[in-house]
Amino acid sequence: MATSVGAVALANPVMAASGTFGYGLDLIDLCPPERLGAVVSKGLSPQPRPGNPTPRIVETAAGMINAIGLQNVGVEAFCRDALPLLRERGAVVAVNVFGARMEEYLEVIARCERETGVAAYELNVSCPNVTAGGMEFGHDPALLETLTRRCREATGRPLWVKLSPNAPDLVATARAAVAGGADALTLINTVRAMAIDAAARRPVLANGCGGLSGPAVKPIALRMVWEVHRALPEVPLVGIGGVETGRDAAEFLLAGASAVQVGTAIFRDPAAPLRIVAELERFCEAQGIADVRELIGGLQWR
Amino acid sequence: MIARRDLAVRVAARTDLSPTCFRIALATPEPLTATPGQFGMVACGDGFDPLLRRAFSIAGVARRAGITSVELMVKEVGRGSALLRRACVGTELRLLGPLGNGFTLSPGDGGPLALVAGGIGLPPLLFAAEVLAGQGVAFDLYLGAATASELLDVERCRAATEAAGGKLVCATDDGSAGEAGVITGALERRLTAGRRYARALACGPDPMLRALARLARAHGLDAELSLEEPMGCGVGVCLGCVVELADGRMVPSCKEGPVFPAARLAARWSQ
Repeated sequence: MATSVGAVALANPVMAASGTFGYGLDLIDLCPPERLGAVVSKGLSPQPRPGNPTPRIVETAAGMINAIGLQNVGVEAFCRDALPLLRERGAVVAVNVFGARMEEYLEVIARCERETGVAAYELNVSCPNVTAGGMEFGHDPALLETLTRRCREATGRPLWVKLSPNAPDLVATARAAVAGGADALTLINTVRAMAIDAAARRPVLANGCGGLSGPAVKPIALRMVWEVHRALPEVPLVGIGGVETGRDAAEFLLAGASAVQVGTAIFRDPAAPLRIVAELERFCEAQGIADVRELIGGLQWR
Repeated sequence: MIARRDLAVRVAARTDLSPTCFRIALATPEPLTATPGQFGMVACGDGFDPLLRRAFSIAGVARRAGITSVELMVKEVGRGSALLRRACVGTELRLLGPLGNGFTLSPGDGGPLALVAGGIGLPPLLFAAEVLAGQGVAFDLYLGAATASELLDVERCRAATEAAGGKLVCATDDGSAGEAGVITGALERRLTAGRRYARALACGPDPMLRALARLARAHGLDAELSLEEPMGCGVGVCLGCVVELADGRMVPSCKEGPVFPAARLAARWSQ
């Protein structure tokens, strides 16, 4: 089941997505991080962030909308408390990096550069739930290219950029990230969305809007992975959006992803990533596929 | 800490408790222990509607004829609880638990414990009442509801309370049973009359918990509140159910709670 995302070798193509697996150790009894392809940390900023007011989550048809607001313990606490144990367990760790300003992304990376056991950085330029930073970098190709380049200059480690489905031109942002030096692209982040309480005549979430995830977004995510793969066939992609089963993972690989991330499914079933690995393995066996990498970009047109 | 597990459970029994609430017993494939205040996340169906599991406070763990069953009390409020109400005996569901912390059940100085339940907030307090009765720890149980028909499982509440030598006090908002008014009013009248408690343990709607926190502060009474924040994952990773503490931290109530000492909560809980 081994695959790779650029230079990052993975024992299997299934990762736990940022913001759905804590700092990698929260679910060790139900889903040991070392058994996954990789774990992506909660988005880390230089300082701890308290996040948004509640209600922060609401369930919708086959999905959920969240506006957590990047609550996190800060990069220092992560490096001190979580990373050493993840290293000890042999987990492959990608650090999701967030900043309200460009300098903050660089600060997080600079702090992690002092540590071993970071396999890659994933730049969060697509969070719909914060007022500064995040999505504005992901929506402006010129700004994204500059941010990626500055991060590229700050590290020799693999650099992934997590793209927003809300950007006006997805392929333009993908090209900008690659031009700035991204080694791989993760897509998609959540889709900007809203839920309304008709009786109260108010938005359900305290933040008003949030990001939609779960099975509801899978067809959108597949289309976007496929579009970016077609435009940039040499760039490794990490597919994310509503992956619930091994078959879903196979669909993302066929669309052009080298690996997938599992997010909302973990909220339903904390062991979902392990189940998805097993299901993907069975799918490959049933299809007579010896190497899971045969699936990558294998979509055929009639 | 009691190890949490994701278990395939079977619906063993279901009984209506009121026009809106029912009790459901879920037989577990292996013995399980839980402490009052802890909860489980139940996958109510196997499709994407509802997508997420539902959090239910554990009302008791029974062991009969070698079979362990987890008892829940559920109020039908949406799709998840409606599916549970319709689930046939024998239906297989998934139960992740036990999760979260529990109430402090040790006896304390200054009197018996006061157990305060509002509406569907009863399950952890019925569980606590039966455990306390078994341990011979004294308590009174305050049981409130909107109306007489929504006072849940009064006979079992009475049996546990009387076994411990305590009093069951009922109140309804409309005065159709017990004392008229909110249950915290019934507690307040007794505190004002000189009744003393070592600690109050409470679960119920937010306004009741806030009233209790105010009452506890006014009377110098320790209080532990079981909060009901909407939960996504139940295991501390989605950060949807955060609660603000007095020190400003936002903590997931599924992991650091759902039971919090009232004094640890942000001021708005007792204002």
